[in-house]
Amino acid sequence: MNLRPANKDEVAGLLAAAHVKRARIGRLDLGAMCRVLEHAPEDMTVTVEAGITLAALQQQLAPRRQWLPIDPPLADRLSISDLISGNISGPRRFGFGTVRDHLLGVQVALADGRLVRSGGKVVKNVAGFDVMKLFIGGEGSLGIIVEATFKLLPLPETEHFVARRCDSVAEARRIIDDVLDSPLTPSVLDLHNVGCEPGDFQVVAGFSGAYEDVDWQLAQASGLGFIESTTLDYERVFWNQPAATVQRHSVLPSRVTEVIGELGGMEFVARAGNGIVYHRGSTSTPAASSIGALARRLKETFDPNGVLPSITGA
Amino acid sequence: MTPPHETAVITPAMVAALCAIVGTDGVIAGDDELLVYECDAYTLEKHLPGVVVLPRSTEEVAAVVKLCAEHHLPIIPRGAGTSLSGTVLAVTGGVMIALTRMNRVLEVDYRNRRALVEAGCVNAWVTNAVKSQGLFYAPDPSSQSACTIGGNVGTNSGGPHTLKYGVTTNHVLGYEMVLPDGEVVWLGTTPDGGEDVDGYDLRGAAIGSEGMFGVVTRVLVRLIRAPQAFKTLLGVFETVDDASQAVSDIIGAGIVPGALEMMDQLITQAVEAAYHFGFPLDAGAVLIIELDGLAASLDKQAAQVVEICRKNRARDVRIAKDDQERAELWKCRKRAFGAIGRLSPNFITQDGVVPRSKLPEMMRFIQRCSEEYGLRIPNVFHAGDGNLHPLILYDERDPDQVRRALAVSDDI
Repeated sequence: MNLRPANKDEVAGLLAAAHVKRARIGRLDLGAMCRVLEHAPEDMTVTVEAGITLAALQQQLAPRRQWLPIDPPLADRLSISDLISGNISGPRRFGFGTVRDHLLGVQVALADGRLVRSGGKVVKNVAGFDVMKLFIGGEGSLGIIVEATFKLLPLPETEHFVARRCDSVAEARRIIDDVLDSPLTPSVLDLHNVGCEPGDFQVVAGFSGAYEDVDWQLAQASGLGFIESTTLDYERVFWNQPAATVQRHSVLPSRVTEVIGELGGMEFVARAGNGIVYHRGSTSTPAASSIGALARRLKETFDPNGVLPSITGA
Repeated sequence: MTPPHETAVITPAMVAALCAIVGTDGVIAGDDELLVYECDAYTLEKHLPGVVVLPRSTEEVAAVVKLCAEHHLPIIPRGAGTSLSGTVLAVTGGVMIALTRMNRVLEVDYRNRRALVEAGCVNAWVTNAVKSQGLFYAPDPSSQSACTIGGNVGTNSGGPHTLKYGVTTNHVLGYEMVLPDGEVVWLGTTPDGGEDVDGYDLRGAAIGSEGMFGVVTRVLVRLIRAPQAFKTLLGVFETVDDASQAVSDIIGAGIVPGALEMMDQLITQAVEAAYHFGFPLDAGAVLIIELDGLAASLDKQAAQVVEICRKNRARDVRIAKDDQERAELWKCRKRAFGAIGRLSPNFITQDGVVPRSKLPEMMRFIQRCSEEYGLRIPNVFHAGDGNLHPLILYDERDPDQVRRALAVSDDI
């Protein structure tokens, strides 16, 4: 059963009740908790209720020419709570980083119903234990994020994407290496085969920032064979398919093309600069973790009564 | 377990056992030699460790930690001891593990932009090792020519360029840690692994924990491309208020400088006396504003910054004419704490962050505190982050000054 708490105190109340009953809590729909609580444009920080979708947040920041530089797929359906809990990222992570680079503080409802804060609201905070990091990618297993504070960036003046087609992984490798060896500072460096002829690939580079910088980079990139103007539509196409779950590999960036070679023509999108490959089809085996015992102790400490789901891959 | 604040006893047998692990030249047990390790750069409080060991490998660290665990002896890891917060005080004595002999850059992976270093590797050595390839390690604490990467992990260090590039946790992919029972684990990304790691971000949770979860022995750091160009400006203001407002306006205009630092009059005078850069002695405050990135847009950004400074009544805005002048300017800024000796025998500093928009208010408050307690408080700090470092000057030989220094520190 889906529960739809109206505010963080109701979230805490539901958890406290489940804790007493030692019952697993059902999936919470935080959609009613969707307010921007505080946007300080001059400080470039924002505090939100965690049920707001990323798209709605971006929409509210845009009039002040600011944004949270995280661009996961399906942002109009993705709550901030799920964004953080899943540590979800998108193509611009090559230029802007991931959730942990932008999150300043969280308020979390713990498994026993306590509301606690970690981190702060200022742009730099290194005092005390950085407990907040445990909730990033924690899949809601240690607590439910009810509020979050982020640091923001100015919206880029302009943004442009260019592509270069190639017909072998070896050629893709050379093109990617050329970009990495050049003075270019792309915000996106992807490799994909979405909508390509069988055996073909596209390397996509994106440039974000001041007009002068983007123009200069486009000229440089065309010298590397990036002459075709493009968009990030392949992202939308890839993530919008109802087909099988997406598999993810995280490898050394230099090994991305090797992994793709092993996929045998399967549809994929890869963050070539970060070493992340997403594909549909055969399942990958999660890497064994040497720190499983530490992870289990954390889980037992935060959620002794098993109210919250367990985390995968730990 | 040793009760809190009761000093652990180090027996001759224990010293012999430690010598068996790290060699006799790796153990410091004489009282006079131990004095070096009684504090870090926060000198108001001092505690002698019972013994200091200087291991050369992870295996030696693990063996020392295991031995200490068996004998219920407290351990405390230490890098170069440059922290300003008492991070490496051996409050209950015990065994201090100094990582300074484990100081190598082990591997550089240029293609994947990462380097594996030992915990005792000096921060600046990392950049020195990779800059010929156009890369650098971004966190740049002012003590970077001495402080260690392991110490940076322990304190989650930042520096002037934190404003744009973030702190240590944003640049450490993973590390090897010896847990309190002697077990060796790797947290986060492994040297040959991908940057997304399943499970909890234990790496992130233990960065900044000041060695309380274990001893960091090897660190995998992220390297980033060195900016193509820099424009470093020096804005000269009549008042701290004007300079603070300029900081707010620069950030508010959507400009993200690489660094944005403020020095008030007192510190500027001390820095000038020490390093002769040519700072004005009568200015209320100066801002060091560094823009970095692609060359194409830097002129436009610099013009914007100059205009904002002028609008806030800057008396003068100078642009560093070449790399050498830029390096000189940064040398002055990063050695500012060293110039304090010209003003006072001792100082303590607070390290706090306020919203950037509250800087003027906070600076006025510090000024009032200075008057109220009769102690001079110069300020040199990361204005772009709102990260203040009020330096409270006192003389430790005067108990009343010590009392006032602690009291005003508390107030701030």
